[in-house]
Amino acid sequence: MLTVGIDIGSITTKIALMDKTKLIYTDVAFSGYDMARAWQDIFKTMLLKTGTKEMDISCIVSTGYGRGSVGIAHKKITEISCHAAGAAYFYPDVKAVIDIGGQDSKCITLNGSGTVSDFVMNDKCAAGTGRFLDVMARALHVELGDFGAMDHKSKKPVIISSMCTVFAESEVISMIARGESRENIIAGIHESIASRMVSMMNRIGVSKPLVMTGGVSRNKGMRTAIEKKIGLKLLVPNEAQVCGAIGAAILGGA
Amino acid sequence: MKLFAYYDTGHEFSEEIIMAAGFTPYKILGDVHVSNDPADRYVHHYICPFSRSCLTEGMARSKDWVGIAFCHGCDTTNNQYDIWKYHVKTDFLYWINTPAKNDLAANTFHEKELRRFITHLENHFSVEITQDKLSHAIQTSNRVKHLMRELAALRSVKDIPNSAYHALTRKCVQMNKEELVELLEDKLKEWKNLPVFPADREPVLLTGSDITYGEVMEILETAGLRAVRDDLSLGERYFAQDISQEGDPVKALVDYHTRIPQPPTKIPFDARLSYLESCLKETPVSGIVYQILKFCEPHGLDLPFMTGELKRLGHTLIVIEREYTPTVDQQLVSRLESFREIIQRSL
Repeated sequence: MLTVGIDIGSITTKIALMDKTKLIYTDVAFSGYDMARAWQDIFKTMLLKTGTKEMDISCIVSTGYGRGSVGIAHKKITEISCHAAGAAYFYPDVKAVIDIGGQDSKCITLNGSGTVSDFVMNDKCAAGTGRFLDVMARALHVELGDFGAMDHKSKKPVIISSMCTVFAESEVISMIARGESRENIIAGIHESIASRMVSMMNRIGVSKPLVMTGGVSRNKGMRTAIEKKIGLKLLVPNEAQVCGAIGAAILGGA
Repeated sequence: MKLFAYYDTGHEFSEEIIMAAGFTPYKILGDVHVSNDPADRYVHHYICPFSRSCLTEGMARSKDWVGIAFCHGCDTTNNQYDIWKYHVKTDFLYWINTPAKNDLAANTFHEKELRRFITHLENHFSVEITQDKLSHAIQTSNRVKHLMRELAALRSVKDIPNSAYHALTRKCVQMNKEELVELLEDKLKEWKNLPVFPADREPVLLTGSDITYGEVMEILETAGLRAVRDDLSLGERYFAQDISQEGDPVKALVDYHTRIPQPPTKIPFDARLSYLESCLKETPVSGIVYQILKFCEPHGLDLPFMTGELKRLGHTLIVIEREYTPTVDQQLVSRLESFREIIQRSL
């Protein structure tokens, strides 16, 4: 039985194709302005590359902020449930999931059978989200993909005191102006986001196994900063960025 | 009948005194569809946006009102009194120091404050606020409260959209009370004939910051949640209790305010928790939606204790922070839908 999960986030659109419990295919593309176009393109590519016919797919589940735009979806499920199901696919005994997305970050607790028992998300503010990292990367003229390696070279992370993305950017620009190294600033940015994540985790009470999903999980500096603050090892599946789409495909077969 | 406006961020104001003075009490609720730019000249933008909206309304509409009274609700109300004094054109602006505590000394003080307010009204407007007029106003108020209790109780058994209930709660504090009674009587007949509670809605208890515009209620509806209980000032706090019709009416008003569901501006906060617990025992709900308006300090301070206790008691609960905007925020809808998914999987 083939099922497809399509996760349309604010920055990227992800797709996963599953045959019962076997992961067949995943892909990631930028969402851009036209969300409908984003999922249609990634869906067509998947059909082409896997040789799958649309009529052979028994269930398509959409998730993410653009889930409403997927006209062919049989079900629409929120990303909270999908990230939890995706994390439980890779780590069946997972107790908590953290995900730093483009416009929000979330911390989810699970009841042991892969279903959500509670969740907490960031306040209505970009601080502590993937967007925050984007803004900082632009201010520092550094590729986001280099953040992890540069964090590793940091000798003394700076302290980012501003709670607001806009003010934090000004703070970072001031640091650049006074000659602070980009490595130290990047490490400080990671610590600032980690602090926000850990305060969310404390509100909800997380325990291990703790899984990190989403694209930001590829950033080693970010992972290390969270691990240091929470004192728990983060489990990160190779397909962390597409966990929401995988979870959607799994829930489509449930 | 002329309108007498009041600025009250809770349910502190004794409307019956205004009714007895021959005016229609009109609660200032701001207008989320109007920019706060006028108020932002005098109040910093990190102060509660609802309070800035009220100031904007005050500056624009004060000539429609014979006077304005403030009550001690949240600290924002208190500290805005002086700003209003300078920037809102009115012949009568008065501040009633309604107490935060609920004990003998506080109630004695409250009674003196109400009597002082009555004297000021009588002197300024050359009216006589007699015991008979107050008693009649209390009787009318009680009729409103009784009808609203009946209407509100129908929320858990009939298909009453969140926004329909909310629209009535707004009318309660802005309409002429005699006309309001007629309207509520008609609504009661109408609502009794509505279809039963829909299967695709989850009943929830709604708490947190006061909701002053219907779009917030529509967000709940979009997410498949139906508020069947609440403890809001535009809601059950306004009509949960009757005012005693025995003895001195001013004392009865003071006594009334000691019995109503408590807002977060009062101490201790256990009283608010007890009320919510009693609601949850009376009416089965699938969960609790605890929403706070950005920069709403009293609720921000109450939140950790209240949510911690409600969760400890085993209730499924979501906390959401909302902006002061009529735009349906998809981020909020998404969070509420996630909450609904949790509820449905746990049933």
